[in-house]
Amino acid sequence: MSKIISLKIGLASCGVAAGGEAVLAELKKWTQLPVTEVGCIGHCYAEPLVEACLDDGSSVMYGNVKPTEACVKNILALGEEGRFVIPAARRAKELVKVLALAGHISPVVLKEYTDHEGYAGLRKALSMKPEEVIDEVKLSGLRGRGGGGFPTGNKWSFLAAKPGFDKTVICNADEGDPGAFMDRSLMESVPHQVLEGMLIAAYATGASRLIIYCRAEYPMAIKHLKIAIGQIYEEKLNVLNGRAVEISIKEGAGAFVCGEETALIASLEGQRGMPRFRPPFPTDRGYQDKPTMINNVETFGNVPLILREGGAKFAEVGSAGGRGTKLFALAGDLKYPGLVEVPMGTTLREIVFEIGGAAPDRVKAVQTGGPSGGCIPVELFDTPVDYDSLRSLGAIMGSGGMIVIGQDRCMVETARYFLDFTHRESCGKCTFCRIGTTRMFEILERIVAGKGTEADLDTLEDLGKKVKAGSLCGLGQTAPNPVLATLRYYRNEYLEHVREHKCRAMQCSAMVDLTLDRDKCVKCRLCIRSCPVGAISADFVIDPAVCTRCNSCLDSCPKHAIRRIATGEKK
Amino acid sequence: MSIEFLIDGKAVTAEPGQTVMDAAKAHGIHIPGLCGEPRISKTTSCFVCVVRDKKTGKFLPSCSARPAPGQEIEVNHPDVLAMRRTALNLLLSEHNGDCEAPCTLACPAHAAVEEYVRAAAHGDFAKALGIIKERIPLPMTIGRVCPRFCEKQCRRNVDGEPVAINEFKRLSADMCYDSYMEELPPASGKRAAIVGGGPAGLSAAYYLRRLGIESTIFEMMPKAGGMTRYGIPEYRMPKALLDRELAHWDKIGVKFEYNRKLGETLTLDELRRAFDAVIVAVGCWQASGMRCEGEELAVSGIGFLRNVIENDCRADNPGRVLVVGGGNTAMDCVRTSVRLGASEVTCIYRRSEAEMPAEKLEIREAREEGVKFQFLTAPVKLERRDGQLVLTCQKMVLGEPDASGRRKPVPEPGSDFEIAADTVIAAIGQKTIPPSDIPVTRHGTVAVGTDGVTVAGNIYAAGDCVSGAATVVEAVASGRRAALAAARDLLGQPMPEEVPVNVTRGKWQDLSRDELVVLRSDLSEAPRQKLSYLPLAERKTTFKEVCATMTPEQIAAEGRRCIECSCSDKHDCKLRKFAAEAGCKVDAYPGVKQPPVYDVRHPEIIQDRGKCIKCGVCVKICKEVVNRSLLSLQKRGFKSCVSTAFGTAFPDSCRECGECINACPTGALDWRKKR
Repeated sequence: MSKIISLKIGLASCGVAAGGEAVLAELKKWTQLPVTEVGCIGHCYAEPLVEACLDDGSSVMYGNVKPTEACVKNILALGEEGRFVIPAARRAKELVKVLALAGHISPVVLKEYTDHEGYAGLRKALSMKPEEVIDEVKLSGLRGRGGGGFPTGNKWSFLAAKPGFDKTVICNADEGDPGAFMDRSLMESVPHQVLEGMLIAAYATGASRLIIYCRAEYPMAIKHLKIAIGQIYEEKLNVLNGRAVEISIKEGAGAFVCGEETALIASLEGQRGMPRFRPPFPTDRGYQDKPTMINNVETFGNVPLILREGGAKFAEVGSAGGRGTKLFALAGDLKYPGLVEVPMGTTLREIVFEIGGAAPDRVKAVQTGGPSGGCIPVELFDTPVDYDSLRSLGAIMGSGGMIVIGQDRCMVETARYFLDFTHRESCGKCTFCRIGTTRMFEILERIVAGKGTEADLDTLEDLGKKVKAGSLCGLGQTAPNPVLATLRYYRNEYLEHVREHKCRAMQCSAMVDLTLDRDKCVKCRLCIRSCPVGAISADFVIDPAVCTRCNSCLDSCPKHAIRRIATGEKK
Repeated sequence: MSIEFLIDGKAVTAEPGQTVMDAAKAHGIHIPGLCGEPRISKTTSCFVCVVRDKKTGKFLPSCSARPAPGQEIEVNHPDVLAMRRTALNLLLSEHNGDCEAPCTLACPAHAAVEEYVRAAAHGDFAKALGIIKERIPLPMTIGRVCPRFCEKQCRRNVDGEPVAINEFKRLSADMCYDSYMEELPPASGKRAAIVGGGPAGLSAAYYLRRLGIESTIFEMMPKAGGMTRYGIPEYRMPKALLDRELAHWDKIGVKFEYNRKLGETLTLDELRRAFDAVIVAVGCWQASGMRCEGEELAVSGIGFLRNVIENDCRADNPGRVLVVGGGNTAMDCVRTSVRLGASEVTCIYRRSEAEMPAEKLEIREAREEGVKFQFLTAPVKLERRDGQLVLTCQKMVLGEPDASGRRKPVPEPGSDFEIAADTVIAAIGQKTIPPSDIPVTRHGTVAVGTDGVTVAGNIYAAGDCVSGAATVVEAVASGRRAALAAARDLLGQPMPEEVPVNVTRGKWQDLSRDELVVLRSDLSEAPRQKLSYLPLAERKTTFKEVCATMTPEQIAAEGRRCIECSCSDKHDCKLRKFAAEAGCKVDAYPGVKQPPVYDVRHPEIIQDRGKCIKCGVCVKICKEVVNRSLLSLQKRGFKSCVSTAFGTAFPDSCRECGECINACPTGALDWRKKR
């Protein structure tokens, strides 16, 4: 029988959030074996995860580990209980390349990275001429992973064309979409991979400054990057064929708009994070008015692979709409939320149902591209996921957030929810974005409150198009997407709200009452106790005038005797 | 090397570095924009200057976009105009301010109240009178008899009494009227006939002359003034003053033909042939009856008043008087009866006091003079019995609100009772007798077009004959519109909007004291100045004017009570100007407005954030031109605002500069002192 020789525990932010640190403490109580703190393998639903590495080279994983003696001892005894196996359907569809090392090596030990071909890409690049490196990136067909999809090699060549070395390469790590955590995971789990990509870019473009603009809400990513930068300086990996480059981290203060490149540069310079009109583009005039290029974390994460395996090989994966693989942060109404990596061109159906394990009859739509993306109805799930296909449906690839929307969600409320975020995050500069999104949000608030009119729908559509056309940056240009997409695919739901004051998903509280089924009720009184406003009488009658539709009673009922019904519907 | 491109199909060139807007301007093509300022780096914020690249269909801010060779730029395409209008409508939708003050908006003539109040308070009565006469040609009369629409909307009502606005007109007119003379344009040679020399006809003649059109007024009575002369009693409007006021019409060359009545000694056809335009302003001279049995035994209110006036306030003692009606004419009748020595005067009104259309002040003064009121009482029958009149009345109760919003009186069965009297006056209302050949509405008034005054061809109508019996100020406003319409048709002068695009903070009824924006530094909290009345005994026995004109000292004190609500930038505001150009509607996008936050800590500079459009021009001017960086944009989304660091006050040194004020496209930053 095999023996455990070492253990790994996932302690990226997701693992910590799930209680990984307590599990680690418990593990250390019961074993002297080496325990490596690793990053994230992308299976959020199974955290905390512990991997027992065996002497025969194989390993056994345990998921949802509890910080208890019994649980830990079960692992140490290689018990059958709690073993975690990657679901077969996901294993079949996923292609883990960029995340290959994530969750398997220590993020803060350089040797673990170099033992796994780390910095081989940089060495390869340094053996080539800078323009050859750019050609390789062009050949790979890599397009910007931050959402824009601009061909990376072209961007690099623009910067390379600028004379001298007084140039800056910036890594955009301001991952602002709620529900997106691809970049965070990559930086926390394999910071060197991102930095290697940046060093290759610095070599290829002749930049002598590398800046990572990372949101301050990612302390672990910043910590790991700082350690990695220290190691790079120590090993002089930042000396590119004799030319030293400078690497620094700037912590952003959490404004969504600072993910927009001109706003990001303004923020780096100590100004208020507001975008400006382009041209001039940053490659002409960027950080401190010097030529500047900005790539996203995941884009840089792809670069070492391209150099290692060659652009042509890299391009074999994917489709015409995009080459290589793409990371997605899967969330919402599905069984296996987490971080997934699939070849470009994988269909939504494969991602949502096969990888995400969503119940086929329970899904209404998927929201891609975060709050500024659009929803795609389940009928269109055979669409391949790439930049151009998604745009043609009124959605965007975005940075890779993917939120599955279940049948019991109201699409008007969904649009309202996303616009609530974007209208607050407008930097306030452009009239259309600042006021237009606010007015759209107010209209949506009216509609979900049962006070909307059919004319409101026309106003929403008209304003939405104008906000997109009349805003300087990506925030305003995409903020109306959730509204326009839901109006396009779910206009009937909007019409039901304004004409019949009906929310078919029973989500809009203004159109819903709660009712108790006396046949199911066991008179346990949990509902009465849970009600924060005392709306349920001693004989279990819910007073609609008092009830706030908070669902506390519904959630507390062990017999599922309470449900939401349309206002006025017979109980 | 210059760049050649197209603007709306026209070939234009741009010098290197020029933006689309620069090039357009150089070629005389106007593109409005709020946030451009040549001395600073681009702000590219307002998107009012939006244009479209025809080939790509992309909208571009022309203040920042540089043209490409051969590019086809659309500036005035309907889609571009719609985009621009939406940008402006959105800016208006969050704008929290008052372009014009609520008093000006409430005034039917839209007189510049705040301005004449300030001028008179500063003692410059001639200037005040000039401002008043821009809209009100009869300040001496209106300064006495106006029901004061303005004061009812004065924001001081929030926690006290309104500014005594009308008294400013009265004093300014009393002080300077005789020496006042406006500059008149040369006569154009066009001539108008005006039928009726009441307020509407006089107003039309006055403004016609100011527009270069001479006129002749045809008046059926032996003197001009209309109802201001023959309807309003001497104690409210001394006729000597009216004569003084009307002398001005002679000064400006208006001709009068008296005792000429349309349909009797005059025909419309004859006027049409002899004049370029005819303005009908015949008023409402037909009294309504009581609509009950024996109504012919009552005298009409206007007939009663006219008789007293025509006889120089000498008339028989009317004995016991019953006046039926609750309007201002009824009040004039009861108070005139008191002055004629009536032994007992009672006003009978079918609703309650709250519903009375008469001015509260008039009701109060009548009561002071001993008039009795019988509310919820309606006449049923009037008969002569034993040498006296007997009015049978019934009690009423108030039912549901009717079309006018007032509760409808309903008879109480079996409540009939009798009142004996020597004189019964029916002051129920008046109607117009429209000239024949003129279209009428179903209410019997003259039918006019959408501009409110045009009848057909070069025939116009104004005043009571269009509106039904109304006030003097409404009549002069209508007369002015008729003059403007005639000038439009005869001289091709554009007819201005009554009030251009106007944002308002709302009515005082919807505001609290804390929500008032007070930008002036010396607002007085003193109570409203009191009027000085004649002793009651004198009031009841003579027709002398009831109260005196306020003194200049009183007016100065009262002027300090004016909040000065209107925007300091209303005449220069680019937002207002471009919004008017683009045909904007201030309520196109209803929604939350900016909070009424303002900073008046600096003695000479105000910042009114409710009017800020967040263009950031002030921020950049202060940073890039003045080199001080005192201002910055703060917060995000709809709450974005311009503020100093940590919200500190502007430093004293700012008084020397004012660059941000000059650059601000709206009234968000301005000098505190209004001129």
